[in-house]
Amino acid sequence: MRKDRRLHWLLLAPALILMAVMLYYPMFGTVYESFHETSFLSPDPKFAGLALYRRIVADRTFAEVVVNSIVWTFGVVLLQNILGFLTALLLNQNLPMQGVLRAIVLLPFILPGVVAAILWRFMYDPQLGLVNSLLLQTGLIENSVAWLADSRMAMASVIVAAVWKGFPFSMLIYLAALQNVDQSQIEAATLDGAGPTRRLLDVTLPAIRDVIVVNVVLTLILTFNYFDIIWVLTRGGPQSATHIFPTKIYETGFGQFRFGEAATYGVFSILVLAVLVALYAIVQGRANRRRGVA
Amino acid sequence: MKRSLLTAVTMGAMLLGTSSVLAQQVTLQFWDNQQTESGLSDVQKAAVERFMKENPDIKIEVTTVPYPEYQQRLLTAVQGGNAPDIATLDQIWVGAFAKAGAVADLTEQAGAAALARDNFFGGAWDSAVLGGKLYGIPFNVDVWQFSYYNKALLDAAKIDPASLSTFDGLKAAAEKLTTNGKFGVGLFGHKGEDTVVVGDSFIFSNGGKVLNDDGSCGLTEAPAVEALTYLQQLSKFAPGGILNASSGDMRELFLNGSLAIEFWPALEQPTLQKSKLDWGFVSGTAPEGKTPVGTFGGWNLAIFESSPNKDAAWKFIQFMVREDVNGDVVDLIPANKKAATAFLEKNRKDPKVIMAHLENAKARPLSPRYLELADAQIAMFQEIYAGGDPAAAAAKACEAINALD
Amino acid sequence: MKQKRSTRLVLTLMQVLLAIVVLLPFFWMVSVSLKPPTEPFAIPARLWPDHPTVGNYVSAFRPEFRTYFLNSLVVSLATVVITVTLGLLAAYSFTRAQIVAISALVGLVVLAQMFPHSAIIIPIYKMMRSADLLNTYWSLILAYVSVTLPVAIWMLRGFLLKLPAALEESAAIDGATPLRVFWDIVVPLSRPGLIATAVYVLIVTWQEFLFALSFTSTKEMRTLPVGLNDFIGQYGIRYGELMASSVMVSLPVMAVFFFLQRYFVAGITAGAVKG
Repeated sequence: MRKDRRLHWLLLAPALILMAVMLYYPMFGTVYESFHETSFLSPDPKFAGLALYRRIVADRTFAEVVVNSIVWTFGVVLLQNILGFLTALLLNQNLPMQGVLRAIVLLPFILPGVVAAILWRFMYDPQLGLVNSLLLQTGLIENSVAWLADSRMAMASVIVAAVWKGFPFSMLIYLAALQNVDQSQIEAATLDGAGPTRRLLDVTLPAIRDVIVVNVVLTLILTFNYFDIIWVLTRGGPQSATHIFPTKIYETGFGQFRFGEAATYGVFSILVLAVLVALYAIVQGRANRRRGVA
Repeated sequence: MKRSLLTAVTMGAMLLGTSSVLAQQVTLQFWDNQQTESGLSDVQKAAVERFMKENPDIKIEVTTVPYPEYQQRLLTAVQGGNAPDIATLDQIWVGAFAKAGAVADLTEQAGAAALARDNFFGGAWDSAVLGGKLYGIPFNVDVWQFSYYNKALLDAAKIDPASLSTFDGLKAAAEKLTTNGKFGVGLFGHKGEDTVVVGDSFIFSNGGKVLNDDGSCGLTEAPAVEALTYLQQLSKFAPGGILNASSGDMRELFLNGSLAIEFWPALEQPTLQKSKLDWGFVSGTAPEGKTPVGTFGGWNLAIFESSPNKDAAWKFIQFMVREDVNGDVVDLIPANKKAATAFLEKNRKDPKVIMAHLENAKARPLSPRYLELADAQIAMFQEIYAGGDPAAAAAKACEAINALD
Repeated sequence: MKQKRSTRLVLTLMQVLLAIVVLLPFFWMVSVSLKPPTEPFAIPARLWPDHPTVGNYVSAFRPEFRTYFLNSLVVSLATVVITVTLGLLAAYSFTRAQIVAISALVGLVVLAQMFPHSAIIIPIYKMMRSADLLNTYWSLILAYVSVTLPVAIWMLRGFLLKLPAALEESAAIDGATPLRVFWDIVVPLSRPGLIATAVYVLIVTWQEFLFALSFTSTKEMRTLPVGLNDFIGQYGIRYGELMASSVMVSLPVMAVFFFLQRYFVAGITAGAVKG
């Protein structure tokens, strides 16, 4: 038994050490920097206490960044999971050509994020882009829409681009889960006279509940920290309409050389993300309990 | 005997001397913005070869970095203690690099080598001066902006191209040209430096300033606010989506014939020459009776403080800005005035117009915190292009700018 | 299961719609890549260029492109192998060790996923510099393994939790050592999980941009996403060449995934353990 304990620690050690050195140590470095004012002009950290935190909270864009981050994350996670799940259902139907289609659907996820973003920036171009051209020609809109330049449309537009890029990932996991669902249960339900909707709600969904949880948490974290798409599409603009934590951190750190403030934004970003994950855990836990009671 | 001994000693010393020179061959790291528009890198390579032939004891290793990542790469290199020996610095970066002590003071060397402001475009030279000290030698320059026009569209609307150089003329023309799915004038307001330089040139031409002489923000003064108001009115005749559009986007519209007037530096000429368009240009826009004042852009050569081979680096800089070399190694315009004249005569349409606009151009504010200053200005331009009140937008920008120490 | 003909028709139509939504941007990417640089963009957008040419492909397929490709391949494959190995070892320990301290560490793995890369990159850069690893494959491999490891552990832990304990228990009763159990029973059974995780790590690594941008400085060491970035100039983007290289980057990966995808699904179906 003691030998087992040692073995388990031994198996864990490489991963733990790597994560400690390459993730936790830098993160503590970031927390340290958030209490110190540094800039390109004076790179030696000067202790600033909570001054940077106060400065950022007082800044008007901070609230925008928090709200944007939540809207962006919520929008992408919700749409990406719904679309991913529906696609997985569709591709799990034994229809012709499904093998090919499964590979095709994966394409957006394989495309490098930077390229996907440049492609979509061009798709959204008010004059030259395919989106406006198609919508104008089919009569769905009467005038060109400035998808990324209008602060009312910009967030929705970047969300659509991100969902296009991200839903194959959710689909992949849902498809794997669906193929793991016990067919005999579904057949039994069918014999009991349950229609497709009932079978979905009563057999399939409960069977893949854990996968849904994992998928949502995973996409939530990845989306919250996703940088490439928004940075290339809008740089957080117009004004601050699409600024989320990663773009703000990058702009403050690498754009303006203010590493102290960038670090402070980094700390805030982890706090907000932790709250989001915790909220989801609570909602999920409640739903599970309710189901358990019923 | 004595004599031969002396000879032997001298010869030995000379041999030692040469061998130590050979052993001391220095390698210089030179970083440059990657030129994507032209086949310039080959020419530059040839120039570097030529320098190494002239100076066998110096080896140059060139690293080219695409613009979008160049600034960050230099910054991380400086912070990481592995900066190159020499690099081209965008004019607006010099202040920060100098204040941070990252680049060397070249005042003395320049004086000794008789490299002076008169040899270069004044605005470009000034962009390398901070607190009376010189932190770089101008390498290449250009000026924002020239108004390039589509001749066919202007002819069809019976517009005299000369009228584009006045505020009222440009607005009237843009209004008239905005018809039948065509766009009058290509304004852009994305988060990028091209937004700032064009906005600045309207402010400069109207007699306004970004920073007053005492360093305080000048954007709330009447000439600047008037220029912003003018830009806001002009934006009605621009293609939709200004807030995410760049000069590159406007170029695509200009090239496909749907945009009548675009704003670009002289750098745009080779692209237009390759196209099938019939085009012309005037320099900038100013109120009636005034001369348009453009905004300087361009690159300076700087030596990094961390370089152990500053003398060799200085030799290389002198070589690169020499009259007979400078014109071959740039795709903007040589910063050396004599080289510039020859370069423009050879490569550009209407060289005299360009030269005059360059002579008249103003540099952007020389602030070590220029990048934050520019961000405040971008926010201001975006606000007015989105329809906000110009005076209020200027006030907000000034509040942010004055908060920078 | 039999479906009504009308249902099948509706489902097939939905498949077609799905394919269009996914493929339209790609189709346009190919279209732009075939447009000669001298042909201006049209309004409204033309779906296909008037005079398609492969000129952009020729100019995009520079010797550098091949170097970038090789670099991406080396870094991605090394990362996949290391991450999946370390991830499986850790996941095994997390799911099988009945040790309170180890279970508590799972929280740290989840937390580590939340660290924004844009914030932790500077301290990592400084470490790489002190270790003299900048501009080497190792700087990227180490960084990629670290940032993909939490998700890999998380995914593999999920798979291992679902494996039936009975097989391992009976093997242990038969006297097999924990290592034997791990190698003979756990590794083969978790193959679908391993493939899924490898796929995930490969996709993430293949397109990673921020670390590659910051840690590599010479053309010899750059990866594809950073190389693609070269087509973005100071004031404009060379869309034609950029799209041509994007197509060239995507094609081989598409082929690989076409193969892996079938393998992946088959693995899951074969390895599915009915509870």
